[in-house]
Amino acid sequence: METRHQAVTLFTSVSLLIGVIVIIQLWLVAAALDALLGGQTSVLVPAAIASAVLLLINAGLLRLIIRLDSRVRRK
Amino acid sequence: MHPEYPGPDPGAGDPGPRRVPRWEEDFPIQTERDHYVTRREFAKFLTLGSALLAAANAAIALVGLRRKDEHLPATLIAQASSIPPGGSMLFRYPTDQDPCILVRSRSGELLAYSQVCTHLSCAVVHDAEHGQLFCPCHHGCFSEAEGRPTAGPPTRSLPRIKMEQRGDDLYAVGVEV
Repeated sequence: METRHQAVTLFTSVSLLIGVIVIIQLWLVAAALDALLGGQTSVLVPAAIASAVLLLINAGLLRLIIRLDSRVRRK
Repeated sequence: MHPEYPGPDPGAGDPGPRRVPRWEEDFPIQTERDHYVTRREFAKFLTLGSALLAAANAAIALVGLRRKDEHLPATLIAQASSIPPGGSMLFRYPTDQDPCILVRSRSGELLAYSQVCTHLSCAVVHDAEHGQLFCPCHHGCFSEAEGRPTAGPPTRSLPRIKMEQRGDDLYAVGVEV
């Protein structure tokens, strides 16, 4: 079982990781839009797949945070 | 002064516990608690943003796929013999909202491009003397032979209009971005 202090560190790290992933997705949207306007349609589907994978990672991290939170609250 | 809000009494010393007015008992407003965001809520908010960005990326991919499958109609744009070397003419393709420019280079080659500058959408003009298409708004230049940006702020090439010559008639048959 984690201590409260460990949980806070974990929360902060995971939140930071989620934030970094969101920034990568933001960059992907900008790059995809630029490619669309530039006529390079071949990169659009891989960009969408990469963004969906990042969303799944984020959802997994959120689940981890919620579980961790409830475990710490229960203590 | 409001009867439920007696002002501070300078001679009273320690005022003791704050008296809660009646209205606050009936309508408790806990501003600090309302503004408090837990890490869990923050992570949820970020994940929602992540979902929106993934949806935006999927929408962009769909638009790209639809555009790829689009077939444009062949449209008569000019008589080839009517354009002298170094000359140009304007037309619209594929819709009336899309201005294009047909140029004949000094070597006699016929080329057509979108007239919309890829920087900020000003109309480009033909500069036959320097063999380029020139955007007067921000002094952007595109090569006449390929439509590539050669100077100024534009970074993307001008979309090229694919043409077919049938006898003396020139037909626009597609757009190559």
